[in-house]
Amino acid sequence: MTKRLKATERRATILAVAKVLFADKGYHGVSVDQIASRLGVSPAILYQHFVSKEALFEAVLTDIAGRRESYVDAVVQEPHDFASVLIRMARIYVNSVARDPDYLIMEMHSVLEGSTVAKQFFENRWKSFSDYIEFSLAELNKDGKVNAVNPKAASLMFQGMLREALYAKCIYKSEQYRDFDLENLIHHLIVLFLNAIGYQEKPAQLKKTA
Amino acid sequence: MAEFDAELDARGLNCPLPILRAKKAINELNAGQILKIIATDPGSVKDFEAFCKQTGNDLMSSEETGGEFVFSIKKG
Repeated sequence: MTKRLKATERRATILAVAKVLFADKGYHGVSVDQIASRLGVSPAILYQHFVSKEALFEAVLTDIAGRRESYVDAVVQEPHDFASVLIRMARIYVNSVARDPDYLIMEMHSVLEGSTVAKQFFENRWKSFSDYIEFSLAELNKDGKVNAVNPKAASLMFQGMLREALYAKCIYKSEQYRDFDLENLIHHLIVLFLNAIGYQEKPAQLKKTA
Repeated sequence: MAEFDAELDARGLNCPLPILRAKKAINELNAGQILKIIATDPGSVKDFEAFCKQTGNDLMSSEETGGEFVFSIKKG
């Protein structure tokens, strides 16, 4: 890192390097000296941007928690039945996380460290799914298109499925699921979810492989 | 804020739900009519821009007041 880097670029570089180290070793497993060493700068440079390791950790978490996928494509495309939109949303999210699985690890770290940012991971990342599922199921239930399931419980079930599949494939790289590619695994889980809520329509997007 | 023909309150909801509800509300309007949307998700600003670009509707205004985002969309 040269002195010619602008402050914003330097800050972004510090955040990127710190993210990799924190994700790998956790908050307590990394020192400011190690981060500075990886960056090729002195710890004093780091302290010009972040007053403490804790401040740097919180900044890394805030940066990750604040990013959010756009689901406009999922909504605009046809068909637009509940399941088809949900499948497209899940694909957008899963592809985004698979490209940067450190996000999942940092989400776990934020919870373990009791960070105030932990709530933002839900507010920014998972609430898109919980809002969509809860409101849609309430409406579908009125029309008799799903069983009388609790929308909040169903939403939590869906989030848990998605998260666990991403852990298994992107974090643990579990041998048990090596025959499933991620998309296929998500596909099977969504079929199970739709069966569990008693979804009556056959979404066009699932017909091919269901 | 210009006059509008329908209003959608999407406060407290994360995208894509505001977009989805706006899409349904616009479907019930005639071309040239205006939908006003109030949202609280900061991501809705970029999302409504993208939505209008992709659907051929006109994002006439996009304003923030006190943590709320107000959009007016003319059906194309």
